[in-house]
Amino acid sequence: MKQQELLNIPPFTEGIDRVDGKLKVTGAAKYAAEHNLPNMAWAVLVPSTITKGTIKTIDTKAAERAPGVLKVITYQNAPKLPGYDSGKDPSKPPTGGGPLRLFIDNTVKFNGHPIAMIIADSFERATYAAAQVKATYAEEPFQTDTSKKLDQAQMPKGPRFEDYKRGNPDDWKNAPVKVEEEYIIPINVHNPMELSAIVAHWTADDKVTVYDKTQGVKSTQNAIAQAFKLPPDNVQVIAKFVGGAFGNALRTWPHETAAVMAAQLIKRPVKLVLTRELQFNSVGYRPYTWQKISVGATADGKLTGLIHEAKGQTSTFEEFTEGTVNMSRFMYACPSVGTIYKIAPVDVNTPTWMRGPGEATGAFALESAIDELAYKLNLDPIELRVRNHADTDPETGKPFSTKYLKEAYELGADKIGWKNRPAKPGTLTEDGWLVGYGMGSGVFGAGRGRATVKATMLADGMLLVQTAVTDIGVGTGTAMTQVAADAFGIPSSRIKFEWGDSSLPPSPTQGGSMITSTVGGAVHDACTALKEKFQQLIGNGGTDKPDYIQVLKDKGLQQLDVTITSSGSSEMRNFSSYSYSVHFVQVKVHPKTGVIRVNKVVSVADSGHIVSPKTARSQVVGGAIGGIGQALMEEGVIDHRYGRYVNADLAGYHVPVHADIPQIDALFVNKPDYKVNPMGAKGMGEIALIGMSAAVANAVYNATGKRIRQLPITPDKVMMG
Amino acid sequence: MEELNNGALPDGQEQPAGNPRRNFLKQSTLLTAVALTPGVAVKAAENHVDEQVAAVFEKLPLNIEINGTKHNLLIEPRVTLLDLLREQLDLTGTKKGCDYGQCGACTVHVDGHRVNSCLTLAMMVDGKKVTTIEGLAKGDELHPMQEAFIKHDGFQCGYCTPGQIMSAVACVREGHANSEMEIREYMSGNICRCGAYPNIVNAILEVKAGGQQV
Amino acid sequence: MKQFQYIRPSTQQSVIAALSQPGTKIIAGGSNLVDLMKHGVMTPDKLVDINKLPLRTITPIKNGLHIGALALNSQVAEDKQVMEKFPLLSQALNAGASAQLRNMATVGGNMMQRTRCPYFYDIALPCNKRNPGSGCGALEGFNRMHAIFGMSDKCIAVHPSDMAVAMTALDATVIIAGKKGERRLPFGEFHRLPGDTPQLDNNLAKDELIVAVEIPTNNYAAHSYYLKVRDRASYAFALVSVAAALDIDNGTIRSARLAMGGVAHKPWRLTAAEKALVGKPATAASFEQAAQLAMQGAKAFKDNAFKLKLAPATIVEALTHAAGLV
Repeated sequence: MKQQELLNIPPFTEGIDRVDGKLKVTGAAKYAAEHNLPNMAWAVLVPSTITKGTIKTIDTKAAERAPGVLKVITYQNAPKLPGYDSGKDPSKPPTGGGPLRLFIDNTVKFNGHPIAMIIADSFERATYAAAQVKATYAEEPFQTDTSKKLDQAQMPKGPRFEDYKRGNPDDWKNAPVKVEEEYIIPINVHNPMELSAIVAHWTADDKVTVYDKTQGVKSTQNAIAQAFKLPPDNVQVIAKFVGGAFGNALRTWPHETAAVMAAQLIKRPVKLVLTRELQFNSVGYRPYTWQKISVGATADGKLTGLIHEAKGQTSTFEEFTEGTVNMSRFMYACPSVGTIYKIAPVDVNTPTWMRGPGEATGAFALESAIDELAYKLNLDPIELRVRNHADTDPETGKPFSTKYLKEAYELGADKIGWKNRPAKPGTLTEDGWLVGYGMGSGVFGAGRGRATVKATMLADGMLLVQTAVTDIGVGTGTAMTQVAADAFGIPSSRIKFEWGDSSLPPSPTQGGSMITSTVGGAVHDACTALKEKFQQLIGNGGTDKPDYIQVLKDKGLQQLDVTITSSGSSEMRNFSSYSYSVHFVQVKVHPKTGVIRVNKVVSVADSGHIVSPKTARSQVVGGAIGGIGQALMEEGVIDHRYGRYVNADLAGYHVPVHADIPQIDALFVNKPDYKVNPMGAKGMGEIALIGMSAAVANAVYNATGKRIRQLPITPDKVMMG
Repeated sequence: MEELNNGALPDGQEQPAGNPRRNFLKQSTLLTAVALTPGVAVKAAENHVDEQVAAVFEKLPLNIEINGTKHNLLIEPRVTLLDLLREQLDLTGTKKGCDYGQCGACTVHVDGHRVNSCLTLAMMVDGKKVTTIEGLAKGDELHPMQEAFIKHDGFQCGYCTPGQIMSAVACVREGHANSEMEIREYMSGNICRCGAYPNIVNAILEVKAGGQQV
Repeated sequence: MKQFQYIRPSTQQSVIAALSQPGTKIIAGGSNLVDLMKHGVMTPDKLVDINKLPLRTITPIKNGLHIGALALNSQVAEDKQVMEKFPLLSQALNAGASAQLRNMATVGGNMMQRTRCPYFYDIALPCNKRNPGSGCGALEGFNRMHAIFGMSDKCIAVHPSDMAVAMTALDATVIIAGKKGERRLPFGEFHRLPGDTPQLDNNLAKDELIVAVEIPTNNYAAHSYYLKVRDRASYAFALVSVAAALDIDNGTIRSARLAMGGVAHKPWRLTAAEKALVGKPATAASFEQAAQLAMQGAKAFKDNAFKLKLAPATIVEALTHAAGLV
């Protein structure tokens, strides 16, 4: 019996192996903190222990005297960065990273705000010395509890965040069947496994190289160049391997600038690694968000009106915004829709986008509410969605470039066994556990930006493809290798793709599900152009698959290259382009203890042609797991009396472990959308997570009859719900 | 020195190159000299001479075999095995994900058993054999678990991967890879934030089913 | 982390002698102590590594099993004698931590581990256990994981061990060595309630050393179960856990052992419930009744009221499993 189970290994999908796989499984892949340079020193930040106020005194004597300490930096002695002096307006950050600047004055804006930096000759000594810095503060009243400031939430500046109205949104009130409910998601923290880290090395008085955890080497290059008033070319940012990020390395954060400052000051390379607890308040997080959905439908399930209202948290010194309510404008064919988005500043560091960003927050509310409406209508939730399917974009009136959402519903429903779902909640049991099925959908914009790629045919027949993009683990290196192979018409084993270095041709920051389309499009264009260049070189009569080594030899060339900058076609403007996902889950809930086990998961992606099936499947599985974490266990908890996190580690902030996760089916509609790019591919990083938390919540309702509208759905909420 | 004789120095072993006593003698001669002239002594203190002496005194000899290579080291007892590997020996394949025993990225084998190197003081593995991810493959020939991780795409960003692989090898060796459920339970000390769990489980299942020597 | 002296004595006497110096701490597996030192919660001047002591063996004794204090958690969990005679202990150990940590943590160290209360762990926050007189941060703070039994207004932390819950239920005895020789302490009396001295986790004197735990032979092996309810399926501390052991004769309970984890400053033995089960049929009704008895005197705080419901439910569920009714 055991042997049988052992042999029942699900087939891995087709597609090439990860191109950097060997480096990763042997430990040879070097992440930011792993560049140990000669004569390197270690920097450690000293975080504030109060939430708001000013530093009255700061005693660094003990730290300075501690063995191995090279320098202690505070606001009293920090060098003035030239880029810091120029910008007084915090809405126009001179660093390109954000208005928060370290060691410029004695103010403390949030708990954990760095007040000093120790530089020492070893990690242990720097860490010890950091604990010796003693500060006294003049504390000021503060508020870190966003739920207490919702009534003061304001509309963000900028036209994108004005209230949206179509038809008469209040029509929902007149509908025969309606749902009006509030939904809350707590703070989620990215918590990639790699700690944020940087090694800064000034190679000349005006030249610096940094090995950094960043999702965008070019944006970090610019941020550092601006802060230190250097020509961008004098700053080299290298991020070949990034140990996950999920959004927390989209910006250049103050600790990065601090490390560069430290290295300049002591004229030695400096390594700075944030501790796990500093991941919670130094590099962003998904903000606490309150939402309300009001939706009405006719008795036969046609939506008549929908209002989606959201209030999220931001810091006191910066506006953070995301597209929380946007999905409600176009997801369903509803004649009357209103969206309202506001933000409330509290005394915390600024949030940042976290995988699926605001759309994932919004989808939890919208897709839960649609589920609630389905039960009220006594309709299958899929049927309700199909009856309100938007054939054209209801927000813009434009046609969709492609949309196979209905197929995705069918694929997933079939795979999970949706027909076994009990229509009445709390009625299906198995081995003493309640069983329930739920689904939720996700959507995210599918665009294409600008990128530059250099393609070079080398004398040995290898095709070198280069661009500055990072691969934070999603498989960009592998997907780009596949795109190049397809476009050039040679096996992927003959492609060498180089990435993660600001000295390579520019690419955008990895994020927003744009990279496969944007960089892939440019890789495709560059490889196609190089192929044409070869054809011109060969002249008429050449074959479609020439012997490139021979051609180069015949023409007396060492190599042949092209550099192409390309972006989306203007035709894209006539269409609405989105990727869609539909997540299905079956959960088991213990009726006595409230324990939830996710038993089956099927995630379906309608994201165009799948360029790299193996890594794409992993990305969808990974997003599903992220969504399960958000649904069932993730919550950053602040004790608002102190403004301080009380679970800022991986024992207190739970993310899923192996035992929480079953086999997961990732299915693809796999139909190309050639309007977006020549590969017909659309992004899938965000949609892999968007909608999953609603699917889980809906399954818990189906199993128990308990509707939990505040994440995470922990056993206590099920018990007391 | 009483403490040193009382067990910290393994009996009968050669003194490592950085002999603490010899260094201390060298330094203390210097100290004696500068002590005679207070001005110079102050200068010496400013130049951290006293701290250098103290620092040498605070270090202890450590004999350790890592991936088959013997190391005779002199370390501060507060140095963890993880930081010794990553910061002093440039064996950066072993990862720091949390530093508190809450993620498993730092998993290595000590005398064949998997442990969290972040909570292991390096001094506590004195005289033992440590295997890290760098020591798993035989030259260019990958370990079957490494092969299976590539085949099943048991990772994305790759940061938890060395810990997952070291743990997976131990899981099979311990006899805890007899079913999917058992693997999941016994691999739960290794967190993967990218969400490669099902692929990792499939990789382990395949290695186990293959019956290769791991 | 502060610099410290490190010694590795090879005799029990030299360990005990070393402990008389202030600021000296024993290190065995280090899985909790090193963590606490990194957080600055514990700042010993000297560490006494006791791994050279011959305290690692598990040996049968006349009326039970002798487990050396340095036996690893994984070693005990997978020991044939333990699995056969005390499967409850094996289950409890396997419910704790991770495979890696169980390869490091020792029996003695498991008993000595400190609470995971976040106010204890963060030196910037008040905690009477870490810093007597500074106040209890959890009392009116985030106390979802905290005690419902036996707390004081000085401390509402819980003991994090799973192993200790099973040891308590199994009537184990702790063997402690000191300057004057060895003494024996019932496991249930090893850990303390916080009272006015929450800084004291247990009754081990500063210059004493745990050398072993002994478990008496019993008739519970056929009917025991350790149930741990937590926020995720593995690698998490208990919201509530229950060690249940029954001696059932022909459907009637001859005797019962019950202890709970995650509810008090020490493993919480449910003596009244145990007594109530004696002579009762092994049925859901008996278990429900016992669970109600067990909850007498329970008190909840802002965030942990759910434990008043979860604890009895977990007791019933654990007993049901122990009785083989699932």
